[in-house]
Amino acid sequence: MGAISAIGNSVTENRHALVQGKSGIGQIELFPTKYAGILPFAEIKISNQLLKEKLNAREPGLTRTTLLALHAFEEAIANAQLTRQQLQSFDTALTGASTVGGMCLTDELYHDANKTDNGSEYLSSYDCASVTLYLQQRYGINGVVNTINTACSSSANAILYGARLIHNGLAERAIVGGVDSLAKFTINGFNALHILSPEKCAPFDEQRKGLNLGEGAAFLVLEKEEAAAGKKKYAELTGYCNTNDAFHPSSLSDDGDGPYLSMKGALAKADLSAAEINFINAHGTGTENNDLTESRAMVRLFETVPAFASTKSHTGHTLGAAGAIEAVYSILNLQHQELYGGIHFNQPIAETGLRPVPAYTKAALKHVMSNSFGFGGNCTSLIFSAC
Amino acid sequence: MFYIHDMSCISAQQTFGDADISHLNGINNKKLHALEPSYEGIPTGILRRMGKAIRLGVGAGLPLLQKKAVDGIIIGTANGGMEDCIKFLNQIIDYDEGMLTPTNFVQSTTNAIAAQIGLLNHNKSYNTTHVHRGLAFENALLDADMLLKENTEASYLAGGIDEISSYNYNIDDLAGWFKKEALLDKDFYTSGTEGSIAGEGAGMFIVGAKEVGALARVRGLELVHTGDIQAIVEQLQLFLRKYLPAGEQIDLLLSGEDGDSRMIKYYTACEEVLKERTAVGRFKHMFGEYATVSAAALWLACYILNKQLLPGHMVKYENTKSKYDRILIYNNHKGMQHSFILVENARL
Repeated sequence: MGAISAIGNSVTENRHALVQGKSGIGQIELFPTKYAGILPFAEIKISNQLLKEKLNAREPGLTRTTLLALHAFEEAIANAQLTRQQLQSFDTALTGASTVGGMCLTDELYHDANKTDNGSEYLSSYDCASVTLYLQQRYGINGVVNTINTACSSSANAILYGARLIHNGLAERAIVGGVDSLAKFTINGFNALHILSPEKCAPFDEQRKGLNLGEGAAFLVLEKEEAAAGKKKYAELTGYCNTNDAFHPSSLSDDGDGPYLSMKGALAKADLSAAEINFINAHGTGTENNDLTESRAMVRLFETVPAFASTKSHTGHTLGAAGAIEAVYSILNLQHQELYGGIHFNQPIAETGLRPVPAYTKAALKHVMSNSFGFGGNCTSLIFSAC
Repeated sequence: MFYIHDMSCISAQQTFGDADISHLNGINNKKLHALEPSYEGIPTGILRRMGKAIRLGVGAGLPLLQKKAVDGIIIGTANGGMEDCIKFLNQIIDYDEGMLTPTNFVQSTTNAIAAQIGLLNHNKSYNTTHVHRGLAFENALLDADMLLKENTEASYLAGGIDEISSYNYNIDDLAGWFKKEALLDKDFYTSGTEGSIAGEGAGMFIVGAKEVGALARVRGLELVHTGDIQAIVEQLQLFLRKYLPAGEQIDLLLSGEDGDSRMIKYYTACEEVLKERTAVGRFKHMFGEYATVSAAALWLACYILNKQLLPGHMVKYENTKSKYDRILIYNNHKGMQHSFILVENARL
């Protein structure tokens, strides 16, 4: 696994912050936006210049999104001890995800989209595919390569796709994940929907005022049991399900059909009963709509709602990276038999009375569910199990 | 391997409704814009707020879903609703991040097409959007293929859509992907200059695992990333060994040749592999060049299989048989993303 977020540049650093209950949400320092100082963000405090030097990635046309992805990708493949031969084998697949791609470069994009002369170095770097294509090119990946964009559930779907490539014999291993960097496009888009909180987000709190945007990337290496022989296995992906809420382009239905069905479907895939889930890493963005809907769906599905929390109170909402980063955190839960607290939580939502895990604690865990719900009603739930 | 049970295509040619591809609609100001139908069945209030990519996707997909319930909606698109994206982007710059209206933002996400289809079809099942540029549609097909292996009784909607938006047109134009000079229809393949002509369209398919009532069978699908001609030749040879029964041949190569002088070498190399027994037909003078044009090509392959006719304007090389039972589609996008799709008569 590999991960980079506002709370750490590696999986280990991320974990330390989670254990200490440290949040990465605060003032923007690097990214130029009118909202710096007005709204909180979960920014990774490393400049693009530094990333390029650290990663030896100095080619023209590399966006911050690609650089963050590269950072997490390198950690993941080193951690999985993949040889060059394995990386370039025809049965190694790569599935990336992003919602913004290179559109983080608003000014360059504005110029290239509107002016008819002097194209910038980023002409082929704006789409989401450009990130995955760079990784493919740099590492010589020869298996099935794909990029998915289903808004906030993008990298959860990338994980799902990679797993199915393996199950269907189209790959022996799949490197899967996602990335997003801060962008005026999403900052202004979410602001126009009035769902950015002026305070640090408080997932599942009665007084929650919205989400904080974050940036980050995470990649996981999925391998078949046989191919992973002799290697350290962090967890097993035992369940997954993708459904659609089919209610509204940017909000979830009152009953939360999409979330309910994706959680239920993941349980069915894993052949588990609801009672066997020990913890849910909730989507929990801190918006009025998501947290209430997700709560209702959990109450509907689980006779007793298991321990749950949203790690977005630590990392902010990392959009295309959220599914993958939270998958990494779910796996850390299992690996270390621990839970990370839902910070910034004070009072439960009156209607449901549900309380997220309040603070770091050791716990006996066998099965952890991770939820990602996005615009367009795209809902995906994953289940990881201890091995 | 899977079967196509129904299909729909909105393109620059008369491919929608009463299809007739014998007559060719030509290039207009270096573009091949889609002929948009009347979109009956989509409420006008909703239609008005849709960007073109969503209109094309919904317009092609929804009629199919009105005839057949599906267990999932899988869309491939490189640029989704990019026109709305640029509108929003322009507002960000013009109003210096002032208070903006969110409609353009929400409609501009690439997954908005699949989402809108799901919404209008009240479909809560599997819904995803593949955005891997020139292989976005192929990944959608691969996804559908895997789903059908996992659920043999199911049906899925799989499609590919992209629009010519001022955004992606301008950027691709600056990057040299389109003709700099004016181009006559008759010179599409022979100009000898770099670049092609921008196109747009939506190709939608109802796919299933059963042969009964199928329009065609997709027997083989291969996605290749390379710039090396020899690698392409080897992949094609491997593909044919894997999917073509011994002693059988490809009747027609549907070639994605696009008039770009830098790309012709890939197409010629594939023609060489197949040699004289295979007829060669081209389709980009009909549909233009865009990331998901292979969806329109798949529609075309199925159309030819069922009508057993190849319009004269498509023919590069004839063969003696003029029977089309096995069609190989070879396409490449920007020289690096290639695909082979083997489509055949469902009764074979």
